[in-house]
Amino acid sequence: MERRIWAIGGGKGGTGKSFVAASLGLHLASLDREVVLVDADLGAPNLHTLLGLKASHPDLGDFLTGSVPSLDLAAVATPYRHLRLVKGSENILFIANINHYRKLRLLRQLRQMEVPTVILDLGTGSSYNTLDFFLSANPGIVVSTPEPTSVENTYLFLKSCIMRVLKLYMDHYKIRDLHQRMLDQIEKNSQSLYGFFKSLMESDRAYGTILYRALRGFRPCLVMNKARDERDVLLGRSIADVARKYLLIDMKYLGAVPYDEEVSASLRELKPFYVEHRDSAAARAVRQLAEELAYSIEFTLRTPPEIRLPDA
Amino acid sequence: MLKRIEDWNYYELLSVERTASPDEIWTAYQAALVTYKEGSPALYGLVGEAERALVLDRAHEAFQTLRDPEKRKDYDLALLRHAPYFPAKAPFRRSVGRLEIEDAPPKKGLWARLKRLFVKKP
Repeated sequence: MERRIWAIGGGKGGTGKSFVAASLGLHLASLDREVVLVDADLGAPNLHTLLGLKASHPDLGDFLTGSVPSLDLAAVATPYRHLRLVKGSENILFIANINHYRKLRLLRQLRQMEVPTVILDLGTGSSYNTLDFFLSANPGIVVSTPEPTSVENTYLFLKSCIMRVLKLYMDHYKIRDLHQRMLDQIEKNSQSLYGFFKSLMESDRAYGTILYRALRGFRPCLVMNKARDERDVLLGRSIADVARKYLLIDMKYLGAVPYDEEVSASLRELKPFYVEHRDSAAARAVRQLAEELAYSIEFTLRTPPEIRLPDA
Repeated sequence: MLKRIEDWNYYELLSVERTASPDEIWTAYQAALVTYKEGSPALYGLVGEAERALVLDRAHEAFQTLRDPEKRKDYDLALLRHAPYFPAKAPFRRSVGRLEIEDAPPKKGLWARLKRLFVKKP
């Protein structure tokens, strides 16, 4: 069975990651495709609220502590056909700081789930846990909004992902001394990533090539949420272009979701926006995103060569 | 391939295929103008003023060259000659209208060298 894991992440809070995750899940489920939504926001889980559900057990915390043996059993049914949800844990302090072993167990189970589509709703920020979930997906989808703060944090998030990918490869090939050199160099300016690779290629071409190929294997997608006009829609394309030139990564711009007042109104009523306003421009945009994602298999499935990201 | 932005060719700079139509080039140029204009939100937090100006200048230059069929032809030929992944004298390549090998001067001296090897001098 063909399995896809989509991870929705981003550098800034409030950009609508959970909204995009919930809407994509509801859309795919409405097409009779089995979907499991996983609330992997380890700091502030609330995907269940967006679907109009109350927090209850079993949840992700129960799986991580071992009281539920598999992630499949932690995925509870929702009122929507074909859609199941792994709720976020209420035990925030424990789950926000899960150890490496538990993280690997979760990643392994995510890959083994017997469903065609798993959608991970990730938390804000660049903790190793969040980055590893983002990098293990095909593809990771960054959600941004048009505000400069959000754009800035999107670049920071992408930079963190890049540094995490390179660090994983450095650890694997036991070239950890390069890590400090990378950190020193990458902070300098926008073309620093190029500078780092250039100097690395000169001093050690073999490792330079391995790391550069690893970097090129990282191919995230971008969604511009809360777009209010044509300029905001084009901004997403510009960000993808800037990331290609300065961060040396190919990022696919999936499209924009227009701003809709009804999103917060639906949230207050504890009803999913996508179900309540199926004909709105925002819902149409979500359908288009899903279509873009489905058609971009070749783009998104190009995984890094040689080794895969953290695996047990 | 790892290259500085200064070394990107015009097609890479505008993110278009080498076979792009004039309309596609115009659209890509407009997109570059929007992305690299002064105060562009897409550059916030990543790209400095000097780098922005550099890319914008190169985008102007790229558009001026690629919009003119004659200049574009010359530029394409120059690219073909320098491109390492595009062997200039590959006789099997059909993606080029006219193969470079057709215009190449005939190789002289091969028979002469063979003769020197195998034919005994009187």
